Amino acid sequence: MTIALSDLADLAATAEREIAAAADEAALDALRVRYVGRREGEITKALKTLPSLPADQRPAFGAAANAARERIEAALERRGADLREAALARDIAGGAVDLTLPPRRVRVGRYHPISRTIREITRIFAGMGFEAIEGPEVEWDYYNFEALNIPPGHPARDKFSTLWVNAEGTMEVALAATGSGRTIVDAGRKQPMLLRTHTSPMQIRVMEQRRPPVRVVVPGRCYRFEATDATHESVFFQYEGLAIDEQLSMADLKGVLYSFARQLFGGERRVRFRPDYFPFTEPSAEIAFDCFVCEGSGTTDAGRCATCGGSGWIEAAGCGMVHPEALRRVGYDPAKVQGFAFGGGVERLAMLLTGTPDIRLFHQNDLRYLESL
Amino acid sequence: MPSLRVPVSWLREYVDVRVPPSELAERLHMAGMEVDHVERTWSWENVWVGRVEELRKHPDADKLLLATVSYGEGRVTTVVTGAPNLATGAIVPYAEAGAMLFDPHAGRVKALEPRKMRGIVSAGMVLSELELGIGPDHEGIMLLDPAAPVGAPLRDVLGETVIQLEIAPNRPDALSLTGIAREAAAILATDFRAPPLEPLAHHLDPSLLTVRTEDDEACPRFTAAYLTGVRMGPSPQWMQQRLAAAGMRPISNVVDVTNYVMLEVGQPLHAYDAERLSGHLLAARLARPGETLRTLDGVERILRPSDLVIADEESVLGLAGIMGGEDSEIRETTTTIALEAASFEPRRTRRTAEAHGLSGSSGSAAARRFSLDLSPELPPVGLARAVHLLREVAGATLVGAVDVYPRPRQVPNVKLRFSDIGRVLGADIGRDEAGDALRRLGFAYAELGDQLVVTPPSIRTDIAIPEDIVEEVARIVGYDRIPTRQPTGVLPLHERHPLEVMRERVRDALVGSGLQETISYALVDEEWLSRLTPDGSPLAPEPLRVTNPTSAQQAILRPTLRASLLDTASRNMKTRRGLAIFEIDPIYLPRPGDLPEERWTIGIALAGLAEPVREGETWLTPERVFDVLDLEGIVDALHRATRSGRGTMERGAPGLHPGRSWRIVDDGRDAVVAGQLHPRVAEMWELPEATFVAEVDLALLLASGRPNAATAPPRYPSAWRDLAFVVDEAAAWLEIETDIRAVGVKGGLEDVALRDLYRGAQIPAGKKSFAVRLTFRSRSGTLSDADVERSVGKIEARLLHRFGATVRAS
Repeated sequence: MTIALSDLADLAATAEREIAAAADEAALDALRVRYVGRREGEITKALKTLPSLPADQRPAFGAAANAARERIEAALERRGADLREAALARDIAGGAVDLTLPPRRVRVGRYHPISRTIREITRIFAGMGFEAIEGPEVEWDYYNFEALNIPPGHPARDKFSTLWVNAEGTMEVALAATGSGRTIVDAGRKQPMLLRTHTSPMQIRVMEQRRPPVRVVVPGRCYRFEATDATHESVFFQYEGLAIDEQLSMADLKGVLYSFARQLFGGERRVRFRPDYFPFTEPSAEIAFDCFVCEGSGTTDAGRCATCGGSGWIEAAGCGMVHPEALRRVGYDPAKVQGFAFGGGVERLAMLLTGTPDIRLFHQNDLRYLESL
Repeated sequence: MPSLRVPVSWLREYVDVRVPPSELAERLHMAGMEVDHVERTWSWENVWVGRVEELRKHPDADKLLLATVSYGEGRVTTVVTGAPNLATGAIVPYAEAGAMLFDPHAGRVKALEPRKMRGIVSAGMVLSELELGIGPDHEGIMLLDPAAPVGAPLRDVLGETVIQLEIAPNRPDALSLTGIAREAAAILATDFRAPPLEPLAHHLDPSLLTVRTEDDEACPRFTAAYLTGVRMGPSPQWMQQRLAAAGMRPISNVVDVTNYVMLEVGQPLHAYDAERLSGHLLAARLARPGETLRTLDGVERILRPSDLVIADEESVLGLAGIMGGEDSEIRETTTTIALEAASFEPRRTRRTAEAHGLSGSSGSAAARRFSLDLSPELPPVGLARAVHLLREVAGATLVGAVDVYPRPRQVPNVKLRFSDIGRVLGADIGRDEAGDALRRLGFAYAELGDQLVVTPPSIRTDIAIPEDIVEEVARIVGYDRIPTRQPTGVLPLHERHPLEVMRERVRDALVGSGLQETISYALVDEEWLSRLTPDGSPLAPEPLRVTNPTSAQQAILRPTLRASLLDTASRNMKTRRGLAIFEIDPIYLPRPGDLPEERWTIGIALAGLAEPVREGETWLTPERVFDVLDLEGIVDALHRATRSGRGTMERGAPGLHPGRSWRIVDDGRDAVVAGQLHPRVAEMWELPEATFVAEVDLALLLASGRPNAATAPPRYPSAWRDLAFVVDEAAAWLEIETDIRAVGVKGGLEDVALRDLYRGAQIPAGKKSFAVRLTFRSRSGTLSDADVERSVGKIEARLLHRFGATVRAS
């Protein structure tokens, strides 16, 4: 059987119709074999008749056969793509998963709120040029009290109910790098050992080891002989700041703590300074931030503001200008340098930042609480 | 801190308070007199000043009246009352429904409800003193001052405001009504009125009373007065009310006067029955060996030689400045008294009070004051004031007074420059303003150009240095005058703290591994340490002990984190079935004669179920308990995250399962101790058998760290071969792996991965089969099959030689 030149276009048209109607890849493959198969395909068969044609008809016939093949192959390609597209669409449609099902769980680690808060504190102060350092929790009486103008029998010791340790020893006062030629009266003296009641001993230790300018922030664990309740712990954390330079004043202290409050609690915080008493600072102050929950009004929609207790202020730290006696004791000249110190409770900030209602939760480590943060 | 209750009405005797009490409290607070709280002694919500407009008889009851009461703003009501003392026009307290009142029938405070009496509803009540809770009288209605404004809340007419202050220990001068009045006068820029004092001529016949101080350091000043004709009895109502409002119980006129003067001027006093003083002597001296004293609280005390006492010729009369003795106590029959007002050295007073258990808020009020640096200028003031009051309230006649003050204390002159104020405060305070602040506080000063010489009032014992003066000025002009400024100047050169940097990296790594951080008490129960090993033998060195622990549970400084981890795990495992926690904290290792080493340690604990699913959620992940390889994985991740070396593992560690624990020793010190808890130990802590702990020494972790060494991705492809071989059960994987790597490294072996560990039917008993994937790669080109086969062959030969391994398939 032979195909006339005029039939080639019809052949292509028929093939295109059948290809367009192919139901699946298998049907499409059968059509491919039938029309453009290398051995028995219609186009191949047509081309096989070429030698039998008169020479002058051959080019036209050949061209027509090739054109028909291209049309068919293009049709196959189109239909193939359509079928694959449809199959994919079917797969996707059938592949929907109930995304509301519980997922494959990943273990999520969390920081303890205390360490997270300490990080926040040290990061903020680092931005103001304060180097974070740490010091010993078990301390000599000298650093915890005496060097801070709190000799034995001083009434201020009442504020620092102390836990004592069953050991004593000979204190070595660090004289490194001072070069001041001063003599340390207390060097080598027998000293009682205690659990530091505040981070302030580090003021002295730092000043003994460095020359001004000094800017440090010291986070750390402290201890008091104290009954525990929702706002008091016998073991707790403080942060201490110290800055010594030629011309630092109370205004700078206020500025630093103002900046700290803004960075920690956000917004346009206000700070309130009022006089306070610490034996190792003069003048001394207590700093409070206006409450970031009630914006200092003392009331919320629910009534009295629970965060600040209705006062509108959150007392955050004790502070003041480093006492000249403390400066003299470490070999600084109070006529040439002055500076400020501040100290506050880490837990208090952590409670405010996380809404933790009871300070004892921090040390209880109930994972149901820790995982809620 | 010492506290002081300040009834505002009492304060008004010494200073005109022209602001509401709440504002006074705020101003005191902002000037450094810390206000703990302000209380209204009576709040009386819904109680008003009313006027009886009309009185009629109750139509159905002879003894009851109907009173029409107006109480402001056109409010008028009718109440039923049985009170006999009402008249038209009377000004009375009127309570609306809802007022909280004392109900004499119920015997307690109740909310007032409208009630019907003989057919007529009484919406409110006119009140007696008893119902208001301010007196015993219930016979009649309380009649108020006819000038009281009708309609005003009753508390504005009758109420008392008490400001509770916490006084700083350096300000004993402020621990009194007049002290606070001085502060208030300075703050409010008004005048202070001192209370009237009796003029005291310091002359007294020694045969009546002799005063002696044998230690003028312990007792720098001793003043006394001799009074006769004392009529003992109760003190007048006004004095009793003031004492009660200030928190002291009225006792008798003489005792009340001493307490009143202590609260008023801050000087504690003591009254003796003068007729019972042997030798007519009051001497301040140190106690002698063997002396005892029965104090007013009935306690027989053995005196210490360092205790300062007041004594007569024969015996000890009292602990000086702390508590009197029973024998010399004034009695109802006393008519002649010796009144003591003295100064005592604070530290000795404090030590003595502490030694006798009379310190603190529950101890002696006098001792609390004498533990502070009270001015020696106070005793004569207190004495003169007390004599004045005793004459008024006890009919006493002053015979004479003495004042022993051998070495008067100098009031310091403090020199500073005006510019110091600005230098310290960073605030611009004018000279006039600073001078005005000092004047208001009663400071005298002289100006010499920029120089300022300041003399504080003699009662201010806290002023010594220029900074004290600066603070005083700042307190009065207000700390809010200090501007907010960002520091300028040279930033200090900072140090690096590698241990702390490493600690934070570890914290991040462990949180990244999905562990929950915990922070537990550094003080622990010593008993815990005996529960860390099956036989109770110690795991850690003898701990440091707290000599005065708050409880046995917080008695030692922990020498290990393990007990804390197990405690945290144990408590949590009561409410859950699995956990993974860590803590990074110091352990405290005693060093003789020195502060302990605070060795930073990483503690890790895993217990129970390993999958981080919700309780009971098994639909995707079957329940699985932790095993020791989980712990190894976490420790391994820690090493990788911190680029620290692992060191050589030794099997077994105290307190842990001997076959499932390891430690790494570095320079004789445990760098890592890890493994499954010994089952007996787990049992003691009520923990599941699947409990795992690790302790890592942070400093050693840091020391074993390797520097960062970045590796670029390889350029040539890798080739791999799988290999399975049978070895003896005893062969440890790490040794095999190490050997394979050692042999293969020359042939381009890049990695060894364990694909399977098999024991079973196809393997002889006592043997096990490892299946591994060996990955090869060259840095200089693509490896040929022949290269790889040659390397595998060497590895097989080595395994056969070292471990007798027979290759199963490759």
